[in-house]
Amino acid sequence: MAETYPINIWINEERLERLQQAGLADMAQEAFAGLKKLSVPTNEQQRDAILKKFPMAKFDSATTKSIELLPRDVKDKIFDLVVEKKSLDVIDAFLASA
Amino acid sequence: MTEANNALSPHGGSLVDRVLEPAKGKEKARVARIKLPLEGARATEIMSIAYGFFSPVDGFMGYKDVDSVCKHMRLASGYIWSIPIVFDISEGEIKEKGIKEGDTLLLTYQDQPFATLDVEEIFSYDKTLMAEKVYGTTEDKHPGVKRTYAYKDRFLGGKVTLINPPKINPPYDKYWYPPKMLRQKMAELGWTRVVAHQTRNVPHTGHEWLMKGAWFASNADAVLVSCVVGEKRVGDYIDEAIVLTHDALGETGYFKEGTHFTSILLWDMRYAGPREAVFHAIVRKNLGCTHHMFGRDHAGVGTYYSPYAAHEIFEQIPDLGIGSVLTLEWWYCPVCGEVTYSGLCGHDKERQAFSGTLIRSIIQDGVKPPRLIFRPEVFDLVMEAGDRYGFGSPFVTEEYLARRNPVISVPPMEV
Repeated sequence: MAETYPINIWINEERLERLQQAGLADMAQEAFAGLKKLSVPTNEQQRDAILKKFPMAKFDSATTKSIELLPRDVKDKIFDLVVEKKSLDVIDAFLASA
Repeated sequence: MTEANNALSPHGGSLVDRVLEPAKGKEKARVARIKLPLEGARATEIMSIAYGFFSPVDGFMGYKDVDSVCKHMRLASGYIWSIPIVFDISEGEIKEKGIKEGDTLLLTYQDQPFATLDVEEIFSYDKTLMAEKVYGTTEDKHPGVKRTYAYKDRFLGGKVTLINPPKINPPYDKYWYPPKMLRQKMAELGWTRVVAHQTRNVPHTGHEWLMKGAWFASNADAVLVSCVVGEKRVGDYIDEAIVLTHDALGETGYFKEGTHFTSILLWDMRYAGPREAVFHAIVRKNLGCTHHMFGRDHAGVGTYYSPYAAHEIFEQIPDLGIGSVLTLEWWYCPVCGEVTYSGLCGHDKERQAFSGTLIRSIIQDGVKPPRLIFRPEVFDLVMEAGDRYGFGSPFVTEEYLARRNPVISVPPMEV
């Protein structure tokens, strides 16, 4: 299976409420004894496209192998797509609309 | 190549002290025929030279030193040195000001006399070669290489003298300890074994445990947190948050009183990976430290260096007279139920790695990280520093870059 590089969307109260309303609360993973996150996978091409489009984002190649520091409003859009499509496979749709 | 005893502390055997009292500074300034304004990074490099952080370097490097540092990672005198300290200038400026070897330049900063440079040498150097040797790459995506290519085409070499010591502004003033002063402080506290922690980050518990692990490993009296204050990029933590939160780890008892000390180093990170690790070791030795901790990806950027390149380089150079504490990473393990050392924890599949970048991401999402990975006192202080110093954000913004409080202020001086 090809390696994937997640975008971590950290779940605050507002996001948790929306996941619960959409029946998607189980989609969130536990992390660090007290946090919840959605790990939205990207493949290598999608990762590179996101880093190019949002230069303030950073691929944490040393430690977590995840895409971090995407602006909150960008993550909100990805989150909206997850809720709308009830799936984590949303990055192509996001890139098409971004 | 000259044989040099690299184990001497300070590096080279004595601390450089090229700081004059203002009265004597005025006399020195009057000798200067040509005025040259400085930009910020150059001013702080002069301070680091003059106060002895960079001992035995006592000025901007001439050709022989630059060439030797690039090719052999040593000064021409034989002492290990890994990063060129240079004063770049354009041919046009040299002609316009009429600068020639033998001149003393009056360097001004914030429109005030600041320092002098005795021009011993005017020279050129192949910037591509410099980049390749120091950074191991010629790609201008590397921030250190980009900085190197941005140098103007000529360099001035010669001794510098700080003639008008600047005021260090709050909140940094409390943490300004040049080598002589810090060595005195350590002696007063009775510290004979001190391990340095290099940082440009607000501390999460991974950092905290790196420091505590290094304290154990070196059997140290204390940890010296040496915060790099310098060039910032949008999205970084603001300098004030970094310094204040590190200090807070001691103030709030995560380090017992007498085991932890925070200070600042004025330096623009070069991200030179292993070479920067050597530079950090020398500077912290000059500060009086007996050990330096190096973790994963020390001073690295992107994928230019292997994660433990900064560990390997110390096997290739002579004893620097400062012990290297080489550590792996700390991660959160839900099975162990704690932040634990990767070299001991066997739950590879369950482990949850975290980094400063990841925690910045959590905070940007409007979420408070749990105390196991980020101390609540640190979180509160980060937010407070954002309000107080960061125009509402603990992260560097364009507004912060344009309007931040200066770290130093040069007092008025009539010459």
